[in-house]
Amino acid sequence: MTRRFIFFVVVILLFSSCNSCRNSNKDVSDAFEIPDSLKEDNPVPISAAVIDDMVQNIASPIETAAVLKGLKVPFNKDLIANTDFAENFNTNFAKALGLGIYGCDLGYLNMYGKTSLVIDYISTIRSLADGIQVGQFFDFSTLKRLATNNENIDSLVLISQQSMSRIDTYLRENNRSNLSMVIVAGVWIEGLYISSVVTQESNHKRMRDIVGEQKEIINLLMPLLNHYKKDPNMAKLIKSFEEIKKLYSDVKISYEIGEATTLEVNGELQIKQNDVQTIEMSDETLQKIIDKVKEIRIKLLKG
Amino acid sequence: MKNKFLIFAVLLFLLGLSGTAFAQTEDELVEICGMIAKDATYLKDFKIRLDAGDPPPLQRFSVILKKDIKYRFSVCNSKDMEGKVILELFDNNRLIATTYVIATGKDYPYIDFTCTKTGAYHLSFKFKDGKPGLAVGLLSLVETL
Repeated sequence: MTRRFIFFVVVILLFSSCNSCRNSNKDVSDAFEIPDSLKEDNPVPISAAVIDDMVQNIASPIETAAVLKGLKVPFNKDLIANTDFAENFNTNFAKALGLGIYGCDLGYLNMYGKTSLVIDYISTIRSLADGIQVGQFFDFSTLKRLATNNENIDSLVLISQQSMSRIDTYLRENNRSNLSMVIVAGVWIEGLYISSVVTQESNHKRMRDIVGEQKEIINLLMPLLNHYKKDPNMAKLIKSFEEIKKLYSDVKISYEIGEATTLEVNGELQIKQNDVQTIEMSDETLQKIIDKVKEIRIKLLKG
Repeated sequence: MKNKFLIFAVLLFLLGLSGTAFAQTEDELVEICGMIAKDATYLKDFKIRLDAGDPPPLQRFSVILKKDIKYRFSVCNSKDMEGKVILELFDNNRLIATTYVIATGKDYPYIDFTCTKTGAYHLSFKFKDGKPGLAVGLLSLVETL
């Protein structure tokens, strides 16, 4: 009788596991991994208050790529990092950095619908994500199917973004915010590199502003990175980013505060901010920033 | 005795699994919220779970919004809890957008926000009348200007 009961329970258990697997699109084997906190080499603890205060989307690959596409800037494969550099990423720190860099590139590829190139990048990202035990959050199989069959590009963008977002959330919630911040730094430097090169080639005012407004972003990013400055790798990265930040001291950003306007159009609420943000940056400063970003980015890729 | 222990262990494991299934509700809410956001491009989701309270408890997040981009903030409530979520967007301490307009008493499943200033903004979520609730907020990109 007892044996029958156990058999019955095990059958239910198997069905439950299959359901869970189907719903989440995750490999069931990933659900039983040893907690990362036990594997990680001395994660740096950070208070809940600081985590709460962290900006959620400090660097997003989608917005910059959307602006480029909106400006009808043609796709340029040479802008993104070659996946061969991935073999230089051997430590957890380097893997997280690579994850950020290639995550940004994936956003760029997705926005331009370059599915033939996507597979190489998602394979690289999965390998790096596995390397820091967050591969279970990267929905490789769905992304591969979407890219291989050249299916719905919107879904490709959505799942890529969600995968990166889940990795970020998991790391933050599991006392591994240090790696989360390294990923953010990787996304940011790659995004700035892409924007810089396009600005240099096109000298488009909008792209110039995007490079200039990164002064706001680096001012938010640096204090967050500084929480982990005791880590020698992070200290090195901070030192490099400080060089960029220093150049941004010559960029002037001014504001005029305006009253936002709210309109209801066909039952939808539309709010328009009326603040004016003006960015002043000389050609010389822009060139210095571009050169510095190129120098630091290639240094990071070479490991 | 041995068998009873085994049954107990298996039941405990099953309970653990049902916990996982419950956690997926938030992911389902993200999906629903994505449908509410229509064809806007997903950027980030915010999971909100708050207890009852007076004044209503808040859950806050900081986000970077960029100049000349139209964003969409959509919200979606769990049917399992009574709270109806309200999203408020602040620039420093200035309230600049909300999904609930007190003057009209109207709730909006999503609002569009055209940003003209790159920087950090604050999102604050609470449940109407301080009721307990589970909800998801979604930030997506509508278009670049």
